[in-house]
Amino acid sequence: MTINRRAFMKAGGLALLSLGADPLFLDRAAYALRATGARASKRTLVCLFQRGAVDGLSMIVPAGDPYYWQERQRIALPREQLLPLDDMFSLHPRLAPLKSLWDQHSLAIVHGVGSPSISRSHFDAQDFMESGTPDLKSTPDGWANRYCSHAQEHQNTPFRAVAFGPQLPRTMAGSAPALAIDDLRTFGMKAARGEGEQKLTAAFEELYGGSATGLVASSSAESFEAIRMLKAANPGANPPANGAQYPNGKLGQSMQQVAQLIRADLGVEIAFVDVGGWDTHVNQGNDQGQLASRLDELGRTLGAFSTDLGERMRDVVVVTMSEFGRTVKENGTGGTDHGHGTAMMVMGGDVRGGKIYGKWPGLAPEQRYEGRDLAVTTDFRSVFSDALQGALGPADIAQVFPGFTGPTKLGMFG
Amino acid sequence: MRKLFLPALALGLLATSAGAQAPMTSIDSARHVLNRLAYGALPGQIEAVAREGVMKWVDRQLGFDDIHDPALKSLESSFDILHTSASDLQGMQQKQVAQAKRLQAIDDTTARAQALQMLRQDQQAGKQDLRTLLGEVSSLAVIRAAQSDRQLPEILADFWTNHFNVFIGKNQDRPYFPEYLEGTIRAHALGRFEDLLLATAKSPAMMLYLDNAQSVAANTDQRTLALAQQARARPGAMRTGRNGRRTIGPPRQPLLDSAQMARLKQSAPRGLNENYARELMELHTLGVDGGYSQQDVINVARVLTGWGVDRRTDEFAFRAVAHDTDPKTVLGERFPGGHGEDEGVRLLKYLAEQAATMHHVSAQLCARFVADAAPDGCIDDAVRAWKQSKGDIRVVMRAIIYSPDFWAPSNVQSKVKTPLEFVVSAVRALGGTPDSTPRTAQRVAQLGEPLFQKQTPNGYGESQEDWVNSGALLARMNFAVQLASGRLPGVTIDLESVIPATTDHAALVDRIDRSVLGGGMSDHTRTTILKQIADLSDPRAARALAVGLAIGGPEFQRQ
Repeated sequence: MTINRRAFMKAGGLALLSLGADPLFLDRAAYALRATGARASKRTLVCLFQRGAVDGLSMIVPAGDPYYWQERQRIALPREQLLPLDDMFSLHPRLAPLKSLWDQHSLAIVHGVGSPSISRSHFDAQDFMESGTPDLKSTPDGWANRYCSHAQEHQNTPFRAVAFGPQLPRTMAGSAPALAIDDLRTFGMKAARGEGEQKLTAAFEELYGGSATGLVASSSAESFEAIRMLKAANPGANPPANGAQYPNGKLGQSMQQVAQLIRADLGVEIAFVDVGGWDTHVNQGNDQGQLASRLDELGRTLGAFSTDLGERMRDVVVVTMSEFGRTVKENGTGGTDHGHGTAMMVMGGDVRGGKIYGKWPGLAPEQRYEGRDLAVTTDFRSVFSDALQGALGPADIAQVFPGFTGPTKLGMFG
Repeated sequence: MRKLFLPALALGLLATSAGAQAPMTSIDSARHVLNRLAYGALPGQIEAVAREGVMKWVDRQLGFDDIHDPALKSLESSFDILHTSASDLQGMQQKQVAQAKRLQAIDDTTARAQALQMLRQDQQAGKQDLRTLLGEVSSLAVIRAAQSDRQLPEILADFWTNHFNVFIGKNQDRPYFPEYLEGTIRAHALGRFEDLLLATAKSPAMMLYLDNAQSVAANTDQRTLALAQQARARPGAMRTGRNGRRTIGPPRQPLLDSAQMARLKQSAPRGLNENYARELMELHTLGVDGGYSQQDVINVARVLTGWGVDRRTDEFAFRAVAHDTDPKTVLGERFPGGHGEDEGVRLLKYLAEQAATMHHVSAQLCARFVADAAPDGCIDDAVRAWKQSKGDIRVVMRAIIYSPDFWAPSNVQSKVKTPLEFVVSAVRALGGTPDSTPRTAQRVAQLGEPLFQKQTPNGYGESQEDWVNSGALLARMNFAVQLASGRLPGVTIDLESVIPATTDHAALVDRIDRSVLGGGMSDHTRTTILKQIADLSDPRAARALAVGLAIGGPEFQRQ
């Protein structure tokens, strides 16, 4: 890679040189350079992290497996309420908004998916799923950031990688620019009454434009660019389209704002949203109860998102993820404990939906992992890399998931 | 007498290597040490340190026992967390978990809401609420950083807390975290590295955070282990009696029927956990390129089997029943079996004195205090001091501060402040005082550094890539504007005494340059600020905007 003088100038002038060679500086300088000419991405991958380990067996119910009924006397779903998907699987009734997507072949499901790491710690397993390197704790960056670092064909708009929340999730940590937005409506300079936000923004922009160096210069330029783009596009002014109704709460709000950013054509390539409340050790319920209300929110959010984007969903793929699944057998307190395999959903784009992917491992004791958990037959990295490429086109998976030997496709996309 | 020569040496270096750059004045040197070895300057402190003599101030900070800080002592005494034991916190946490479980078990939604309401009221009534107490850990950290006269020891406490990172958000280690900070890290932050390393290895917080307490010899008999676990069951814990009433007190013996035994055996750890062993070598001592193999990781884990926590006393305990008694080899060094806990102590001392450890830890110190990419010269100076002093942290720190790299012009004002450094230095620059609520720590968290909440064992990063992103910079600007206008909840400032309001804008900006930026304001920044306040006739409004721009601006992000 050659870095010409213009790249240095762009990243803050020759002050850089006196600081010595700094690889990340050079990276950022190179980004600035290649931004010219490249086009903003029209296509988006949305990652929805269900933190706390969702019970995949309640989300996508293996109703055709006798052990499901045998092991879950208290928490099994009422048979008559299940929404059958095929001979084996049914959808949780509170995910009803997703049933029509399944019927239209816009929703695919992978069951028995998880990590090769045997950890049942939320802390480790989330870490591994976000770094994309199971059992390797020292990986400094997240898989989505590595994608942005290596995929060169699209413009680095400030919105290329956006996470909703106060901090960047580990998935997006790394050397490529990434934006953390807690709430689109409050992003930017906040001024007290009478001061004028615009004036304040302009003052800081002028200040940084002339006095900042290095990464501070390039990142502040990205901030002001983001503010300007938001102001011009004013995505917040777009109410949900096609009569879509997002549920109240953070998840619905965040996904609505993802949709706004997408429709405003701000070049969002990867968006990240997370939602907690899945760690159902006690009294998880069946068609009613804690898990049911979480799934209700999830189903209505995804349904609204799909309705909202309408035709534009062709350019958008949503993938759900969770660090591991839960025990096959319910525990003594009407809940489930930390397990291994779970289910993930992939919707949108040109997904070949209406189909369950992955080899179903079965729920018989000898088919389980360590006799207790749904076994993992599909590595989560296979789901992520297939969804990533399905959404954004061919990618160098060896860079995104170093050490991963595949398969990098599950056939979910054409 | 070497120290007397040093400022001269630094100046000489500047003169020869900096070319066009002006040599550092004593004011510049004072600003540099207050930026790097303290959380920024208080109003007037740069001048005071320059008058005292920069190196004299450094030596006083390193010999911190002589610095008495009665004001901070009295502030600290109001923090209940400093008077609450790990056992008490553990008890509170278990009670909370039990309450949550009871609450979840209520099927009826209305009844659950009512129970929740009652629980909230109970919690608010009781001052000793776990959440409040743990909130004190981070508010105390901010207050100490902002108010302590022992600034360098505070900075080093932060460095080691991060080097030996423990995540306060992990349930298992949480009750032990305050004790970890006070008794393990702060007590050893300027002692010998080996003692610090041993203290962390013998801390319940570290043993639980990195799962060593779960690591048992592969051949450990499950029944013995289960019995040992049962014997350790908390004597005062709540349990449900035969009649359904909750009782407190020691369990009636014998407790175990075969089903219970089976459950205990099921939940008992079943083998080696390599987590701590790996991080011990990769992060705490040798470094990732320190020359150890996967087999070394396994063997270190085997040496440390049995190192865990006694659930009765909530203290560190060596559990012989879980220890691997076979001989092991680590990095070619033989560790014959049968020495129990001493085997681990010998191993930790052995790791502490390895050349790779000296190099790795010195490089991290140089990255913190000198430049993101630790200069080789600084590392060499630190390693030499380490060898001579057998790992005395004060001596190593002294060598780093006396290293020419510390004073090299290219390293001055080159590092980006962490969110904690930014927030605290801003508050200090304006002579502000954070109150005892967690509000200031929450601002630090919003800027990207929730204190003690780094999940991964590597701790927070020390380079600018870790902290500079577009959202974070905007958040810093907003913070600055809020602080300067006196609208930051949780912090009181008396701006008038530091920067008196005046209609003379040039004088105002000069004053801000001196007290906030230590004279480091660029021409562009000066021009821009003057232009922005030109049409403001209210001197207080002009001052608020000018100070906000100076603190939110690019110069103040660096140190």
